[in-house]
Amino acid sequence: MSIASRYKKIWVLLCAAGLLVACGQQNDRNGNKVTVNPPPGTSAEQPALPVGVDKSPMDMSYYPENFPVLKMQGKAGQQPVARVVYSRPQKHGRTVFGNLVEYGKPWRLGANEATEIEFFRKVTIQQKKVPAGRYVAYCIPYPDKWIVKLNSDLYTWGLKIDSTRDQFAFEIPVAKTIYPYEYFTMQFQSAEAGIELAMMWDSVKAVLPIQ
Amino acid sequence: MKRLAAIVFFLATFIPPSEAQFKIPALDKSPMDMSYYPAEYPVLKVQNKISEPLLARVVYSRPQKNGRRVFGELVEYGQIWRLGANEATEIELYRDCRVNGEKLKKGRYTLYAIPQPGTWTIIFNKETDSWGAFLYDPKKDVLRTDIKTEKMEEVAEVFSMAFTKSDDGVNLVIVWDDVKAAIPFNF
Repeated sequence: MSIASRYKKIWVLLCAAGLLVACGQQNDRNGNKVTVNPPPGTSAEQPALPVGVDKSPMDMSYYPENFPVLKMQGKAGQQPVARVVYSRPQKHGRTVFGNLVEYGKPWRLGANEATEIEFFRKVTIQQKKVPAGRYVAYCIPYPDKWIVKLNSDLYTWGLKIDSTRDQFAFEIPVAKTIYPYEYFTMQFQSAEAGIELAMMWDSVKAVLPIQ
Repeated sequence: MKRLAAIVFFLATFIPPSEAQFKIPALDKSPMDMSYYPAEYPVLKVQNKISEPLLARVVYSRPQKNGRRVFGELVEYGQIWRLGANEATEIELYRDCRVNGEKLKKGRYTLYAIPQPGTWTIIFNKETDSWGAFLYDPKKDVLRTDIKTEKMEEVAEVFSMAFTKSDDGVNLVIVWDDVKAAIPFNF
């Protein structure tokens, strides 16, 4: 066997391996079973332990970003400024906005338990003073804007939010992203004038500025 | 030819298709979860089925066994353990209570354990919003109490915590691998 043909063989093998890797990733992305909105109701009959992992797993984002890690490294103060605890549904090949999430209707900005934002000190959002404390956050999406609401009815499930307990409403514009976000993502980050809470899913990004 | 093979190898190995240009924020390997007492409080609330007040909540991350032996190996005996993964495990008590008979004020705490075969020392610490147990400072302990653990026949793949009703109060049941522990609370 000549050296050239041996390399040709290796080359073909590597291409095949590359394709396999690509297919594997494709499967991973589209073959997942996803329950975006598991209806409340059957949970009481489920065994208490051991329990499976949620299909829309929970996550947490702090400001300063990665506060617990910074704190561990001795690079952060005692108290964070803000924290959001939310669950992360997945796009799973669907059109999210205007379809899975309907325009003009309350959307829980997540999945499962209602999304919870905590401010560890008072902040200002769109010239409104928001006292320190814990709020449920939800949103009414439109094609060109989101109305983000902070509500005082805590420890609830995201599907039923008591709008009579809305404390604040903020209208923010939405932007299109170049690439779709598979997972709904919320992230506090630094901005020119303070902080922003960035929210991304599918091809939509909305940013709530906070001072 | 050698160079071409090297380049192809590099491309096939290191550049995932279509993701090279931008970063998708990944899901955590040990996903976070939340457990309330009363169990499923948020669901009961939207169903108007609440019969008991909200007493406690734990927010924790869920590592997986993945074929490893957990206690005595992955989680070492006698060492501080974060009872979870990633962000430190947070327990919030909405009323003053007793934990294993000892008084504890309502509030938000970080929960740790020091496991031993058959016994865990459970620790409530006031340093919150922390990561793992790397910063653990015993001076910030609010309460330490020992509880017995039991062996389970079934193996729990995923580290799990859930509040359940007990004869005279509430247990925070913790399971992973073949070990089960319960922290008793009285509110």
